[in-house]
Amino acid sequence: MKDILENIQSISEEFDLSLTNVSNTSEIMDLKVRFLGKKGKVTSLLRLLGSLPAEKRPAAGNAVNELRNTIESIIQEKTLALKNDELRQMELQDLIDVTLPAKSRPSGGFHPVVEATNDVLKIMTGLGFTVVLGPEIEEDYYNFEALNIPPHHPARDMQDTFYFDDGRVLRTHTSPVEVRSMLKYGAPIRIICPGRVYRKDSDPTHSPMFHQLEGLLIDEDISIADLKGCLDVLLDSFFNKELKKRYRASYFPFTEPSLELDIECIACSGSDPGCRICRGSGWLEICGLGMTHPNVLRSGNIDPEKYNGFAWGLGLDRLAMLKYGLNDLRTLFEGNVPYLLSGREA
Amino acid sequence: MLISWNWLNEFLTLPSDVTLQEVAEKLTITGCEVESIERPCDFLTGVITAKIARLDKHPARESLFVAELDLGVGDSRVVCVTAAPNLNVGDIVPYAPPGAVIIHNLALGSREFDGILSQGMMLSAEEIGLPDVADEFGILRLPESTEPGLDFKSLFGLDDAILEISITPNRGDLLSVLGLAREIHALFPNSELKNIEIEDIHNSVAWPVNFKGITLEHPDCLSFALGLASDIRIGPSPLKARILLSLMGMRPISNIVDVSNLTMLLTGQPSHAYDLELLPEKEITVRLAMDKEKIITLDGKTHSLTTEDLVITSGGQPVGIAGVMGGENTEIKDNTRIVALECANFASPRISRTSRKLGIISEAAYRYSRSVDPMKVIQSLKYALKLFSDWGCAKVVYGHYEFSESTRPGNLEVPLNSKTMKRILLWDDMVEAGHILSRLGIEKVREENGFWVFSVPTSRPDITIEEDLVEEVGRIRGYELVEPRIPDSLHERGKLDPISETQGHMRNIFLSRGYTEVVTYSFIAPSFSKDYLLSKNDIRSYPVKLSNPLSLELSCMRTMMLPGVISAVQGTIRSGWRQAVRIFEMGRVFLRLEPGSNQLQEIERLTGIVYGGSDQRSPYGKWEMEDFFSVKGDIVAIAQNRGVELTFKQGSEPFGHAGQSADIYSEEKKVGYLIRLKPGIEQNMDFGGPVYVFELDLDTFMATRLSTFKDIPAYPAVYRDISLLSEKSRLAEEVIREIRSIAGDLLWEIRIFDIYEGKNIPEGQRSLGFSLAYRSEDRTLTDIEVEKVHSKVRSGLEALGYKLR
Repeated sequence: MKDILENIQSISEEFDLSLTNVSNTSEIMDLKVRFLGKKGKVTSLLRLLGSLPAEKRPAAGNAVNELRNTIESIIQEKTLALKNDELRQMELQDLIDVTLPAKSRPSGGFHPVVEATNDVLKIMTGLGFTVVLGPEIEEDYYNFEALNIPPHHPARDMQDTFYFDDGRVLRTHTSPVEVRSMLKYGAPIRIICPGRVYRKDSDPTHSPMFHQLEGLLIDEDISIADLKGCLDVLLDSFFNKELKKRYRASYFPFTEPSLELDIECIACSGSDPGCRICRGSGWLEICGLGMTHPNVLRSGNIDPEKYNGFAWGLGLDRLAMLKYGLNDLRTLFEGNVPYLLSGREA
Repeated sequence: MLISWNWLNEFLTLPSDVTLQEVAEKLTITGCEVESIERPCDFLTGVITAKIARLDKHPARESLFVAELDLGVGDSRVVCVTAAPNLNVGDIVPYAPPGAVIIHNLALGSREFDGILSQGMMLSAEEIGLPDVADEFGILRLPESTEPGLDFKSLFGLDDAILEISITPNRGDLLSVLGLAREIHALFPNSELKNIEIEDIHNSVAWPVNFKGITLEHPDCLSFALGLASDIRIGPSPLKARILLSLMGMRPISNIVDVSNLTMLLTGQPSHAYDLELLPEKEITVRLAMDKEKIITLDGKTHSLTTEDLVITSGGQPVGIAGVMGGENTEIKDNTRIVALECANFASPRISRTSRKLGIISEAAYRYSRSVDPMKVIQSLKYALKLFSDWGCAKVVYGHYEFSESTRPGNLEVPLNSKTMKRILLWDDMVEAGHILSRLGIEKVREENGFWVFSVPTSRPDITIEEDLVEEVGRIRGYELVEPRIPDSLHERGKLDPISETQGHMRNIFLSRGYTEVVTYSFIAPSFSKDYLLSKNDIRSYPVKLSNPLSLELSCMRTMMLPGVISAVQGTIRSGWRQAVRIFEMGRVFLRLEPGSNQLQEIERLTGIVYGGSDQRSPYGKWEMEDFFSVKGDIVAIAQNRGVELTFKQGSEPFGHAGQSADIYSEEKKVGYLIRLKPGIEQNMDFGGPVYVFELDLDTFMATRLSTFKDIPAYPAVYRDISLLSEKSRLAEEVIREIRSIAGDLLWEIRIFDIYEGKNIPEGQRSLGFSLAYRSEDRTLTDIEVEKVHSKVRSGLEALGYKLR
């Protein structure tokens, strides 16, 4: 009996010692065979039990069984750990450098003017304006005469026009859409029209092609207050900020009264006399506007006695440049990818 | 327009607490944008008038003079050395003593010239900052009557502030000091307007010639007045006048010209001086020009006129283009003895047309185009003749003048109703409105049927209807007083148009697929049709052309989107970009209906271009390479997103690679192309590798289609593969079509998984591997069923001549 207990003790110690030398699953399989196999040390002990007196057998049996269970569970645990380890080692064979570049194409860059246009369309359709489009190659009539600008009127000097041989023009503003829409839809009418417009001009602040957003609302009893209300919403929403605004008297042949809208300088809010954006004035000219001239309503076959309304022509490029802090208008139309991609960066 | 603040104040008394800055702000907000306020001689300090009491040659330096200056304080003298050759004893000059500051902010001190200490210096026109006022080389000599010891700057108006104002084309009346004084008066209720008084020239001396009169043959000459001055002495104008002109941006020329310019700056009325003795006949006739009638104008240029131009003639010969420029043949010269001075009024549209047509934007034409007050003719003529006399440029100024008019100018009556004003301004204080209008010179004449009737002076032809009066009231009262509101009529939802909606959706897909959005010019160079090998019967070879383009390169309206995006890629490469370039643009092309037709369609297009870049190295090798099929993938993706089915057929675009071009169809209609650029074109344009381009009609993608979803298939699919050999020229899609038609309804999906040619494959053939999925919607297919249909496919293909592998 004592022998057995001593044996248990020594086998247990031997096992513990052997275990520390095990470093992989095949070694632990060997170990298992050595202790728990048919000819293993624990199994041999079990066989020895038969030689014990009957009264000692249960105690000795329990002790051996306990040893076997302990060893078994240790081996199981160790086997699992070693297996996991080996799997991990195998996975590490396929180690990658996660800092390598992403594989699919990087995202493209949006065009600031198109983005600004879409923003404004979203704001204004939300307010209740419907979007219409018009031709870029326009009849002289719709671009000028229908808008109360007779031939040779000095107001034509305000807009250097591109002509075609047949007398048509590249529209100099989106305003021709006003009369076209009045003729098509009649009054009341609530429309906006984005699009390309053209003037014969090219320097850092002028491009022969740029973008406008026309707005037109005709109904009964429309006031300058309504016009200011709509433009306030447009600009405050676009810049996501309540801006200081200045409604200044101006002149356009197609509106009476005519105004211009200045907003506070986005860059300096009027605090920098040397500001490059507002040239120190603190104000930025952003939009021409006014109450639609009765002659324009007549061109649109709308009775000016019954209806009146307002219109505006907003410079979308200017808006985009201010929002995104751009300086050269012409760069916008060069299609330079690094320039446009730089817009993705925060 | 440059305006002298000092001069303005001669005709206007502002309340003492009103500053120039306030005036400028008020002008700006009421419609006359003050762009700047300059004080051109602001730097000048400490300069006084001095009299040359003694003048000697410098004892040591040949070229210098030593002056002793009387500064008006007893017998004391200061010594000043100068190199100027134009001085005499007794001359009065501007003198800058030590400590004074002259141009370029130069502070003066004393300086020794070979033993003689010069205290400060005497000044030339350049040194006071106004080089144009010099009438001789050297020191600026002041009028003899000037007292020594006075502050030079204020005495000669160099303390002036100059306002640069941008005047809108409807306000010709503001192109004058008097007009602006009136406007400012309206802005400041407590200001007072002073009238300009010009005495008549009371002499009854008869004209020294027998003048036969003025004939106005055309009503566009509203009125024509001619005054006379004789014994002309041409010379410089008085210094103060030269300074004033110079400050207002006009170069002093001679007394005769300066009188004309100064009059125009004051009243807005242009005038023109003829050498009376050079007039072909002693008469003036204003008529339309004859076709191709020639005239040489003052600037020496010959112009050929048409019957639309108005000319001033004498004895049948043109002596001036009315309102635009005088003729060379009657020009004032040094030996002119008698000047006939014209003040006339012409109708704006005609002068505007002639001036624009001939490209002569003279000061006169500029003003006439914007309208000149017809009531100013006589007043201005009298003012000018008075200056002739005051300045001594004529000995005799005749009290009599010739005058003819075709229209007697009169005020226009315009009614204003409080309801109209209320509708627009939400304000209807008629009494206050009347005050505002009155300050503008627009007086109420009576009340009639609820209207107040106002009399609008001839200086304001821009005011003709009620709304014009509302604008005058509104702008002067101030638009900031109108509280913004959201119009009641905005009570329905607004809608995007289908084009903007489609574009907005598609651009997001392209952006997320790695394309950069560009906007390029709508005009392209005429060489495009040659560059891209367009044929004569291709409608795209017939662009509409601008008749006045900025340059040849920007002269044609684009008929295809390709050239714009190509140059965008080229620009990108030029700027040093070496990686792949992917660009898209949405915009219009402009196509004639037929080659000779002026009927145009503006077609919305979507274009994309992909270039692999000059440095295609990547840690992932070929994975990242762009090719025809990666770009096709983008097109298919956008089509799937819009629910549109596209088919690709072997392409025919002349600028496409003969072997790598597709025409794209939707419902049997060609809607675009996808090509690799012809290698020859790629080379010509210096691309280092293939360039893929597509262009699609936006129209194809515009139908809005609501997505419908199907249930998850209830029964599993069974997969079988087929590999076969086919002629290389046989399109994959045809093979698939054949498989489908043999297999029938049970074939649910077919996918190519392998394409192989080369080793072990006969020349001219390729091996295609297909994965076929069989599925039924109402049961699980049995192996037997699948085997049956699949062997039918196999044998069917063999029957068609395919060799199965």
